[in-house]
Amino acid sequence: MAWKRWRIEDVIHYPGSQEVEEYVYTPGLHGLEAAKAFKEGRILGMKCGDGVYVPPKTYCPDGREGELVEVKGPWRVVTYTIVYEDFYGNKLEEPQVLALIKPDDADHGGLIHIVKVDPERIHLGMEVKPHWKPPEKREGKITDIEYFEPA
Amino acid sequence: MKTNIFVKDRVAVVGAGLTLFRRRHLETPRELAWEAARQALESAGLTFDDIDCVVTGTAPDAFDGVHFNGEYIADSGGFGKPTVRVYVGGGTGVFVPVAAWWHAASGLCNTVLAVAEEKMSPAHPHPQGVFAYIWDPILERPLGPNLIWIFAMEMRRYMYKCNTTKETIALVSVKNKRNALDHPAAQAAANITVEDVLNSELLVWPVNRLDISPVSDGAAAVILARENEARRITDSPVWVEGIGFTLDNTHWYNRELAFPRYVNYAARMAYKMAGIERPWREIDVAEPYDPFDYKELHHIEGLMLARPCEAPKLLEEGWFDRSGELPTSPSGGLLGVGNPIAAAGLMKVAEIFWQLRYEAGPRQVKKPVHYGLAQAWGDLMQVGTVIVLSN
Amino acid sequence: MSKGLSGRRQPGWVNPPGHYLKRDEMYALPGLVRYKPRARYLFSAGQAQSRFLQGLKEGRILGTRCPRCGRVYVPPRMYCEYCHTRTMEWVELPGTGVVHTAVVSYIAAFRERLKEPVIVGVIKLDAPGYVEGGYEFAGLFHRLCGVTPEDVMSGRVIGMRVKPRWKPPEERRGDVNDIECFEPVEG
Ligand SMILES: [Zn+2]
Repeated sequence: MAWKRWRIEDVIHYPGSQEVEEYVYTPGLHGLEAAKAFKEGRILGMKCGDGVYVPPKTYCPDGREGELVEVKGPWRVVTYTIVYEDFYGNKLEEPQVLALIKPDDADHGGLIHIVKVDPERIHLGMEVKPHWKPPEKREGKITDIEYFEPA
Repeated sequence: MKTNIFVKDRVAVVGAGLTLFRRRHLETPRELAWEAARQALESAGLTFDDIDCVVTGTAPDAFDGVHFNGEYIADSGGFGKPTVRVYVGGGTGVFVPVAAWWHAASGLCNTVLAVAEEKMSPAHPHPQGVFAYIWDPILERPLGPNLIWIFAMEMRRYMYKCNTTKETIALVSVKNKRNALDHPAAQAAANITVEDVLNSELLVWPVNRLDISPVSDGAAAVILARENEARRITDSPVWVEGIGFTLDNTHWYNRELAFPRYVNYAARMAYKMAGIERPWREIDVAEPYDPFDYKELHHIEGLMLARPCEAPKLLEEGWFDRSGELPTSPSGGLLGVGNPIAAAGLMKVAEIFWQLRYEAGPRQVKKPVHYGLAQAWGDLMQVGTVIVLSN
Repeated sequence: MSKGLSGRRQPGWVNPPGHYLKRDEMYALPGLVRYKPRARYLFSAGQAQSRFLQGLKEGRILGTRCPRCGRVYVPPRMYCEYCHTRTMEWVELPGTGVVHTAVVSYIAAFRERLKEPVIVGVIKLDAPGYVEGGYEFAGLFHRLCGVTPEDVMSGRVIGMRVKPRWKPPEERRGDVNDIECFEPVEG
């Protein structure tokens, strides 16, 4: 027997699936404080040597430990994109505005979130404010903020 | 006699740090990495600013559930610095300082932070789901294998070939879990007997529950420095004398399972570089990789610290105890301290560092120590990684 | 949340950081994120293995031979791992062999307890014309049948001569499970 040239139809394929049913991610040390703050409708940042970071980290980029502080805004759009399709390529009924939003009292970072605004109206520097879920529905996650809206 | 390997500089380990090893941590993977890195830096009296380069290591991303996990944990000090992740499965923990060594030995970096991290708890219902990817998807996974099968098969072959018993092999678990009682980071330390091992849940004969190390979260870190820098940092640098790493093929069922060729080749490479000709006499303390109890014996033989099939007998005589002729896993090993995969290998390197500095406290071995060795192994009986250190 | 070492703290070099969580504590954490992955894969068996699987469908065990070193590969490889040459020649093996190692599994893939234990092992296959050096060999990982857990535990099974028990031709799909198991050769 010798090798013959194989056609793609001759190659056998086997299906497989991701055998982890679920990932459970813990919030981490300062993430836990940030999560508790979300439940109270507050947003925390981390004060490092070179300014305030949002969201807070356990350590600053220079490797040192920072200090938790509350940030209050006002919040402004740093950059944005307009989303027309979902994760799997299906057309969305309404295009969605996704933005990086930074509070004026922080120096670095910001939150990535949905801005509920007509895509025609969104612009850099636009002032927005968080729209919170009712307290009883909050879970200590970024989704406790339902969306940002023009201030 | 040392072989003529060109290295620009001798390299020393100057600091080491660990987090607790536990089943489930609140900390995120990068927080664990940062905590370990901070411990290592503090122990060397350094800060992040003193570090030139960073090497990170983690085993499959699918445990932590974060893609590019090495880069993800690397901002625990790698921010704005030359940073690289290395990954050779379970062998990663010892490969991290090996890679850090060539960063320094080449003269590229004065100081290197080497961090290894593993958080296995995010994968539910059990990290076993991640291990399923180790098997060949065409020829092995359709048989519905559990990861433990492959080790059980190797253990069975080793028992047959070396004419040894489950009772003897269980002594490794007894020894390591007892050693771990003195380890402040330990997860599975215990005073147990051979009967406890034999009576624990039977999973895949010949493997019972207590023959296996636990599932863990944790991180470890060491600092390496070039000779001049090392002497500035500390009066007791621990020198990297030899490194070795080799790869075998993926077809583990086309090979004799009783002897780990992949470990042997890596060991020979490291000994040659270190100028060690009779490792069974020249190595004073060793941390062979012990995710399963038989693996420690198997690796001791691969490392030529005992003749093939001689390790079980020496074990029974107490040769490998902390008070023995050649203490192995004085830390408590993976069986006792825990097995956050990449971090566990680096924990072994850290233990040899502390042993050679006489800083291991209650874990310090009885005999005087000059040369120590740590080893890990990974993938489908494929990867061997070895590092030889001296004081 | 229990910090540190549940009452057992040793003097020494380090006070390792970290916060252990019990399972319930973890699920009660605010901010805990749970995510269900949806990855699906399709693996190609490749050139050599596709032909091997076709062979299984026909009830034959096929391997490849390296023209340079003479190694016979089962499962077949497209190239020789030692010589890095293409393995040009296909060979059919008789299918018989000896048990290299065997174990008794009481658990399934995800650690579920099995009702009946399953015996699996490595079978070193007879490969006429292949003079092996004692370390590598042509072989398969598969189930064993017709042997008892006691045979495995006593070591009787190692070195035992075995042959494949094939599924009936109409049930074969070109899959490693076309071989039901390896069973002892009578007599
Ligand atoms: Zn060849």
